Amino acid sequence: MRDPRARRIAVVADSLLEPMLDELEREGFGVIQLPPAGLDRETVAAWLEQTAEHVAEFRRNDYEVVLADDGLCAAELEQALATFGIEPLPQYTG
Amino acid sequence: MSDEPKRVAFIAHCLLNQNAKVEGGAKRPGMWEPVIDLLRARGYVIRQMPCPELAFGGARRFWGVREQFDTPLYRRHCRRLAKLVAAVIGQHAAAGDDIVLIGIDSSPTMGVDFTPSAPHWSGQPNIVEDDSTLVRGDGIFIEELKAELAERGLPEPRSTGIRHWFADYDPDEELERLGALLR
Repeated sequence: MRDPRARRIAVVADSLLEPMLDELEREGFGVIQLPPAGLDRETVAAWLEQTAEHVAEFRRNDYEVVLADDGLCAAELEQALATFGIEPLPQYTG
Repeated sequence: MSDEPKRVAFIAHCLLNQNAKVEGGAKRPGMWEPVIDLLRARGYVIRQMPCPELAFGGARRFWGVREQFDTPLYRRHCRRLAKLVAAVIGQHAAAGDDIVLIGIDSSPTMGVDFTPSAPHWSGQPNIVEDDSTLVRGDGIFIEELKAELAERGLPEPRSTGIRHWFADYDPDEELERLGALLR
């Protein structure tokens, strides 16, 4: 069965998603959206933990995963990724 | 978050990330743009939900049906993720935003109006022909999300499911159904 997935994923800050969607779609990226602003710290931490689980599984299977970040969650995401032995993600460069 | 009420769509993870599909299940390189483009054209804020199957069964999981996924442990996993989604829905509900939910009607996890069933599937993964059937009902995650919303006293969003894996998939019907959902 033909499967056209590009095996490229961008983890994208909520604030950057809308302005980046056209480009990401054109470049064949799938997206993992980071949590929106305004959530309590516990929810943000839990959200980033499950994001890290997704990233770890993709990395384990040799998918390319990059980060387009606005600084809101960068440190916490890095920490969550480290618990799975994942190095900080390379920045999306377009 | 601004005080102006927004239109917000909570969507199945794979609509923005086709890489989360089971192998053989993706239909686009990155995202399912018919839905994404429509949401943007209608002015909806996109809120991507996690993919319970990816996190639980992995990227190399086999295709599955509802009866295989309907275990206490998988439900607990789905509930854990549903709590996160419900927290964000609660944030939008408190702001008076218009909220919709778009799932995947061929999924044992994210089905909204339909979900695949095959009570006889088990053991060696050598099914030559897919003899599962689509039955009315929610997927496991959607059930857990509705239960979580009910516990929090939050209303169920208007919802529908994408049917791009149905044998008789009709893009025009889907567009019309989505159009009615998005008002």
